[in-house]
Amino acid sequence: MYLVADISVEICAAKSCKLCTQYCPEANTIQYSDELGKDQGFKYGSAYVAVDRCKGCAQCVWVCDNMAKNNAIKMIMIDQLPKAALTENITYGEKSTTAVLASPVVG
Amino acid sequence: MSLDYVKFSNGFEKFMPKEYRDMVEHGPFGKKVTVSQMGNFKEVLEEHPMCAGCAMTLFIRLAIIAFPNPEDTITVGTAGCGRLAISQAAIPFVYGNYGDQNGVASGLSRGLRLRFGDKPKDVVVMAGDGGTADIGFQQVLHSWFRKERFTTIMLDNEVYGNTGGQESGMTNRGAVLKMAPLGKKFEKMDMVQMAKVAGCAYVATVVPNNPRRVESVIKKAVLIAREVGSTYIQAYTSCNIEYAIPTDKVMEDAKTVENDRYQFTEYVSEEAKQYLTERYGYKEFLAKPAAPAAAIPGKA
Ligand SMILES: Cc1ncc(C[n+]2csc(CCOP(=O)(O)OP(=O)(O)O)c2C)c(N)n1
Ligand code: SF4
Ligand code: SF4
Ligand code: SF4
Repeated sequence: MYLVADISVEICAAKSCKLCTQYCPEANTIQYSDELGKDQGFKYGSAYVAVDRCKGCAQCVWVCDNMAKNNAIKMIMIDQLPKAALTENITYGEKSTTAVLASPVVG
Repeated sequence: MSLDYVKFSNGFEKFMPKEYRDMVEHGPFGKKVTVSQMGNFKEVLEEHPMCAGCAMTLFIRLAIIAFPNPEDTITVGTAGCGRLAISQAAIPFVYGNYGDQNGVASGLSRGLRLRFGDKPKDVVVMAGDGGTADIGFQQVLHSWFRKERFTTIMLDNEVYGNTGGQESGMTNRGAVLKMAPLGKKFEKMDMVQMAKVAGCAYVATVVPNNPRRVESVIKKAVLIAREVGSTYIQAYTSCNIEYAIPTDKVMEDAKTVENDRYQFTEYVSEEAKQYLTERYGYKEFLAKPAAPAAAIPGKA
């Protein structure tokens, strides 16, 4: 098994600074959704990780902890994530994206 | 080379992979995108085999986003780690023999000018420090002396990363590497100074821990190279494998190195300043209004 980044919507949406994706080395891996967290009353949406593209470097964890000072990202074994975003389930809109979450592990 | 090359051929859309469809419909072609929109549009860079957490990968990702006209850009690369990612972008990529990238780019940029006249087609070379300062040194310097109008970017990880850790001219004195076990005996080459001596119109050093700065530097370098002359960017892009930097400390290392010996520097020739101001509306080179004279105590 291997580690991937997992972003807590509740913690991220309180800040939603969009810093982490600017520092993730991989393209279209940390994405944004304006809708995430709205059902919990947050205004600005949240970042989320397309786990099929994540290489597990944890640079985003450093950025969120030390630059954003928000501690919203943790590294988690991929089979411990019941549901996650995957590239094939991401839809692009005019200004933001949405992801339908699915089990990241086959079987 | 135009927006047409990324469009679907009639009837083929449904057979194209999702990533390709997303790129055509929600990619940066024909639009202006910025780093602050990252995570909300489909990038032209796709998955690639560079190491997890590699700062060079991040730099390449940012650079491609910063290209002013990605649909009218050709990248040129050579042996080394960077080409593993640069080649996986939906931008034509030319891969020559190790070290001949600035020769190839010279011919390419001249050919494009003959073929397309004034319509800008941007040529951007991205190569490692070994490819630029060692093996390609002669072709790099000559292209600058000839004032060839394209951008050269050195991905400076201060080592031959792709072949397992030999020292390069850009390695720091004293650095011990797997295949330089006695430590490097000579100083790091001053390619920035050489670029200025050779007449580059724009020369900058940058570190990827400031994405907006990377964006601004790349845009200026590419625009200036359209008409004024050669431009050179030297980017510190650490190799976390050969320098044993834990991947979650790569940005901390970038910050330390930036403060220590890789400060942001930017040289813009007078001609280039005027060009950016007049052609592209840059404001930063306009003469600053004179500061009001300081009040002298006791004088009315
Ligand atoms: C003519 C030639 N000599 C040697 C090689 C082997 N080779 C491939 S990559 C490389 C070193 C790359 O180092 P650098 O240019 O610094 O790029 P990095 O991999 O560090 O990004 C070498 C020596 C080659 N491909 N061609
Ligand atoms: S850095 Fe942290 S708070 Fe900022 S967008 Fe990313 S996860 Fe959210
Ligand atoms: S762990 Fe690395 S690859 Fe994965 S999302 Fe974070 S920065 Fe990107
Ligand atoms: S070997 Fe070094 S420079 Fe090359 S991809 Fe890996 S970390 Fe990056």
